[in-house]
Amino acid sequence: MTELKEHDKDINSFLEFASEDAAASVAASANQDGPLAGLTFGVKDNIAVEGMHLTCGSKMLKDFVSPYDATAVRKLKEAGAVCVGKTNLDEFGMGSSTDNSALAVTNNPWDLECVCGGSSGGSAAAVAAGLVPFALGTDTGGSVRQPASFCGVYGLKPTYGVVSRFGLVAYASSLEVCGILADSVDTTRKVFEVIKGKDGSDQTSIDHIPASADAETVAVLAGDLGLKPEVETAYKKAVDGLKSSGMKIIEVELPMLDYGIAAYYTIAMAEASANLARYNGVRYGHRSAEAGSFEDLMRMSRDEGFGDEVKLRILLGTYVLRSGFQDQYYTRAQKIRTAVRNEFDGVFTKADMIMLPAFPTAAFKHGDQSLDQFQQKLADKFTVAANLSGMPAMSVPVSVENGLPVGMQLMAPVFAEERIFKVAEKLAEVLPPAACPLSMAGQRTTEAK
Amino acid sequence: MAASTSYETFIGLEIHIQLLTETKIFCGCKSKFGDKPNSNVCPVCLGYPGVLPALNEHAVELSYKVCRAMNCDLAKEGMFERKNYFYPDLTKNYQISQFEKPFGRNGYFEYESGGGIKRIRFHEIHLEEDAGKMIHQGGRSFCDYNRAGTCLLEIVTEPEFKEPQEAEDFLQAFRRTVRHLGVCDGNMEEGSLRCDANISINTPGAGLGVKTEVKNLNSSRFVKKALQYERRRQEKVLKSGGKIIQETRLWDEDKSVTESMRTKEEAHDYRYFPEPDLPPFRPDQAFFDMIEKSQIELPLARKQRLTEDYGLTPDQADYIVEEKAAADYFEAVVALGADAKTAAKWIMGNVAKELNRIDLSKADLGTEKCALSAERLTKLLGMLADNKIHGKIAAQTLAAIFNEDKDPEVIVKEQGWDSSADEGDLEKIVQQILDENPRVVEQIRGGDQKPRGFVVGKVMKATQGTANPQSVQSIIGKLIG
Repeated sequence: MTELKEHDKDINSFLEFASEDAAASVAASANQDGPLAGLTFGVKDNIAVEGMHLTCGSKMLKDFVSPYDATAVRKLKEAGAVCVGKTNLDEFGMGSSTDNSALAVTNNPWDLECVCGGSSGGSAAAVAAGLVPFALGTDTGGSVRQPASFCGVYGLKPTYGVVSRFGLVAYASSLEVCGILADSVDTTRKVFEVIKGKDGSDQTSIDHIPASADAETVAVLAGDLGLKPEVETAYKKAVDGLKSSGMKIIEVELPMLDYGIAAYYTIAMAEASANLARYNGVRYGHRSAEAGSFEDLMRMSRDEGFGDEVKLRILLGTYVLRSGFQDQYYTRAQKIRTAVRNEFDGVFTKADMIMLPAFPTAAFKHGDQSLDQFQQKLADKFTVAANLSGMPAMSVPVSVENGLPVGMQLMAPVFAEERIFKVAEKLAEVLPPAACPLSMAGQRTTEAK
Repeated sequence: MAASTSYETFIGLEIHIQLLTETKIFCGCKSKFGDKPNSNVCPVCLGYPGVLPALNEHAVELSYKVCRAMNCDLAKEGMFERKNYFYPDLTKNYQISQFEKPFGRNGYFEYESGGGIKRIRFHEIHLEEDAGKMIHQGGRSFCDYNRAGTCLLEIVTEPEFKEPQEAEDFLQAFRRTVRHLGVCDGNMEEGSLRCDANISINTPGAGLGVKTEVKNLNSSRFVKKALQYERRRQEKVLKSGGKIIQETRLWDEDKSVTESMRTKEEAHDYRYFPEPDLPPFRPDQAFFDMIEKSQIELPLARKQRLTEDYGLTPDQADYIVEEKAAADYFEAVVALGADAKTAAKWIMGNVAKELNRIDLSKADLGTEKCALSAERLTKLLGMLADNKIHGKIAAQTLAAIFNEDKDPEVIVKEQGWDSSADEGDLEKIVQQILDENPRVVEQIRGGDQKPRGFVVGKVMKATQGTANPQSVQSIIGKLIG
């Protein structure tokens, strides 16, 4: 644990480490015969781990300690894995850099001046740095896949509902799911097998009925996608890689992607405005010391406890849900959501899989003015489609350009996670993932029992 | 209260009933009131970060049961939505409720009012979670979340009551019905049945006027009183050329007035949207069959049947049907062979008196709490009908059943109260008394009936009260002729 802390000093991927004693006692009592026995893992700090903080990267919940385990965490513990700590994130999962965390700045282990991506940036950085073989993240609009791409690790966003959301602090309930950041396809697969499945505590959860794992044809996008050169290059390499491993490539168009962003943010912010209403300083969390009345208590606690990006999204969400405006915004967004799903379904009649970039850029520098908060939202266009449609998608490291990793996203119909794993393994054979220069040597445990 | 002559009145009610479920609507916490504050709570009903609701199926069943009984169109797809507003007693600051797709729509209910049967239509019936309770004390505010997340069913009527009295009559009948259905205990004082009322008046034929909503009505009587007050207030405003403001008003039961609480401008925009944490509820045919099977005869129909089939008076039928337990008990007694009218008379009379004496009520009839099982009452009434005992002895036996928890024939035997000592024995006793009192015999023969009572008294004394006075009378007639 001391070694982990020491190695994380410059990266700052963890907000909290389990205490030496706690980790030791958990390890001692862990299921030694479980499928994940001996594996350590980190948990994004918007997923509940009993007895540990659940800050969501927010001043609002800075001191909040969770009284229960998220279902995914409980299943991992039961499978013999040991949680070593909680990782940094954009406040309540809102952002693409982890710089929206109110509690710490996390650096990209490939280049400490760069961001690690977000919002599951701490989890991605921790895996890239070899601190843990895997970490849980959450993916609402790309929050697992984009940081995975920035940090050169695997990042799976499973089919919506296949992993219980119980214990995942809600940002946008109908879009998000617990995801996995891992150092290999195999680790990802093993963890997925453990955490998937219907859960009585989450009535939107469903059993996983595996779809065919066969893939022959992969659809890709042609033309100007507005990608930075390093991503453009990586996309080409990945396409060539698929070809060389015997896959058939077809080119398709996905015009709905441009509408997806607006629909995604409308739905996400609407849901966020309600999901974040519970933080009012009454029962737990930040409580304003200044308030006189209970109205003031709620108003001021929220004003002091939330950061700007969170407030912006709550305000926009409240705006689009106003009575009389729902048809114009929320209902229309739901229609676009259906159209996006239909468009992807159409492609899946011709191809077994779609490969898209995870993000138009590689990791950018902290405070990069060319990519402000609004630009970052537009850049989510490749990732939000999977959240709008519910399908699984995984970011796969395919290349290192100018010293920074670039990942591509493999997308498949619902329940076709294994199909993605298989193609990702083929890609790994022709384009083996590079090790991060700052990786903690000897600590990477890729072999699970 | 004189009815308005120059205006037409439109009254609607919005009723909330707490469903009798073991646990809360979205978690496993006990649905129990009066416990230590914040003792029946968990991360889910406290709205902790990361928790999700898991719908209580029993609550859904009870909801559909009510919807069916109220003749609603039952939803093939029910949906929950979030109703957003901030208040410290609302743990998530949104209430999970129903809006676009409630469980029941377009229902109606028939009730007695003004000597006839009236019908009120329901706009909708929907299920939602209750909020906690805020208690203000000594300048401080406290929150008790035991009630947070308990199951609440909201019933909204069309604004079609014409008189405050109708609203009161309806509410009493409705309360009786939900109690019969076993879905709610209907206690208005404790808030397990709550009612808000809305009222508008307008010149006849002009349709609905501008309505006001009245809250804080803790009994059906207050519903009527508040509506009467509010109608007079609105009339005064209109007659003096003013306009009614759409607003929410609170009933002050001490002053017997309504007072403004908030106007429409201050009303919330609840920003309803579909609850993403709960999939739509789509019941299968088996569920609908189960709901259909769970239906019972409603109190009004039962009352009509009791008067028609058994010849009970409306008062008797009303008294018995008021509690389902009492009605079931009555019919059990009749089924066991007792005479219906006698049984009704006894249940309303001696039995009620005895229940009252030992702090039970007619709702306890037929339960384990009550020693007077249907069989025992039937036997008791049977012995009375067969002249084995007479009325006074029957009343004593009834009391003894409650006191000693024994069968009536055992009590009568133990006490030697059996008056069926054959007529010959009784005749001998009467003869003996007549022989001892020749003057009395003379008087009776002479047409004076008064001394008959003297003879009966003597016989009663000789038989320790067990003789049937009527039998004695007829024996006297026979012997003196």
